[in-house]
Amino acid sequence: MKTSERIRKSTIGRSFFRNPDRVTERDRAAGHWSNFLLHLYPVKVRKVEITFKYTAFLGVASVVLFGILTVTGIFLMFFYVPSPANAYGDVQTIQNQVAFGQFLRNSHRWAAHLMVLAVAAHLARVFYRGAYKPPKEFNWVIGVVLLVLTLLLSFTGYLLPWDQLAYWAVTVGTAMAAYVPLVGDQVQELLLGGPTVGAPTLLRFYVLHVAVLPVALVAVLTIHIWRWRKDSMLTMDSDQGDTDA
Amino acid sequence: MLDPDPRVIANKRLLGVVPGKPGVGDRKEPAEEDTVMVWPNLLIRHAVTALVVIVIVVLIAAFFDAPLREIANPTNTPNPEKAPWYFAALQELLALFHPLVAGVLVPGAIILGLVALPYIDRNPSIDPRKRQIARTAFTVFMLLWIALTLIGFMFRGENWSWVWPWEEWHGEL
Ligand code: HEM
Repeated sequence: MKTSERIRKSTIGRSFFRNPDRVTERDRAAGHWSNFLLHLYPVKVRKVEITFKYTAFLGVASVVLFGILTVTGIFLMFFYVPSPANAYGDVQTIQNQVAFGQFLRNSHRWAAHLMVLAVAAHLARVFYRGAYKPPKEFNWVIGVVLLVLTLLLSFTGYLLPWDQLAYWAVTVGTAMAAYVPLVGDQVQELLLGGPTVGAPTLLRFYVLHVAVLPVALVAVLTIHIWRWRKDSMLTMDSDQGDTDA
Repeated sequence: MLDPDPRVIANKRLLGVVPGKPGVGDRKEPAEEDTVMVWPNLLIRHAVTALVVIVIVVLIAAFFDAPLREIANPTNTPNPEKAPWYFAALQELLALFHPLVAGVLVPGAIILGLVALPYIDRNPSIDPRKRQIARTAFTVFMLLWIALTLIGFMFRGENWSWVWPWEEWHGEL
């Protein structure tokens, strides 16, 4: 506390932080209203909300993984061209020649797998704690949309390295679309941009992966967290208070 | 705190808006002593969560390289052909049922079922002892799904035949 205080009071510190450190509860509550990111949080929550066993912080872990994926993904975008002639070579270049390229590609890949796991675990945690019950039903529905978006993000990203693994996994995955009654062939055609996985597929998956789906996820996630914030002060059960599975 | 139980008195003008009960019904406001400030209590926990997640990702990424096979070759179909692991359960079902069932009806039913869950399970209690049916049903489904995922992911080899993962490894990440 002392050192941070001294830094704040220095000439540079004062140019940086216009306000004194917020120490009292009243100051901090005011901080919530003046800070964009803190705005996503309520000022107060019920005590259970800060215990590990209540959420296992899995929703937050999912957000953090999404953040890691955004940062590492933007890095990868600088070196990657979504065409069958370039994609595979670009990934090799990232691994062999770009500084920290291999590490950042690894981070992107593993964070993606972990995000699917974290979101699934978050769903299970929310279920066992009964947090989908009134009035939170609709936030659960929004969560299901997030789950679908997460899977689609993962699946569209899977094609991008354009190796054998990518190509055939997406061939298998999109083959299922053809069995949708009545419009199956059209759905598959729409996804692939042709009869088989090819250049148009790679471009479509890339655009979905780096633009459409992330933007959609952020939009839906904002509503999800906003509703969580609104309900975070509600006592859920009339007879029990919050107990745990 | 504000008046917890505001009453409207007849023939008086409304001079202000007081917080009432949420539109959704009878919810207790938590007692003052059952709440904590988000800053710093929740923020610090979220920061720690973020650090733990970042450390896990950094460690995995430092020690394990992401796979990169040979360049895509449309004329050379690998055997087995594997979907990503999160679709492995569906792919396993595909080997057992007609594709319309495994590829369309089952995933469709799961998504719709999840969406509908809060409207089907109308039991208001969150006490685990009072929601045995819901918990059992969910647990059975989840274990089944995990089992199918593991089977599709690592117990299937050439031509989707059964293999033991410690003898032949076919799981792809
Ligand atoms: C991209 C995926 C997702 C992210 C990033 C995310 C994030 C979050 C966060 C940060 C919270 C508040 C804190 C916490 O509970 O940890 C939350 C709460 C919640 N999530 Fe998610 N979530 C996701 C997917 C889902 C899914 C798949 C479901 C279920 C189908 C779901 C249902 C809920 C519900 C019902 C709450 C409210 C819990 C409460 O108010 O007590 N979410 N989510």
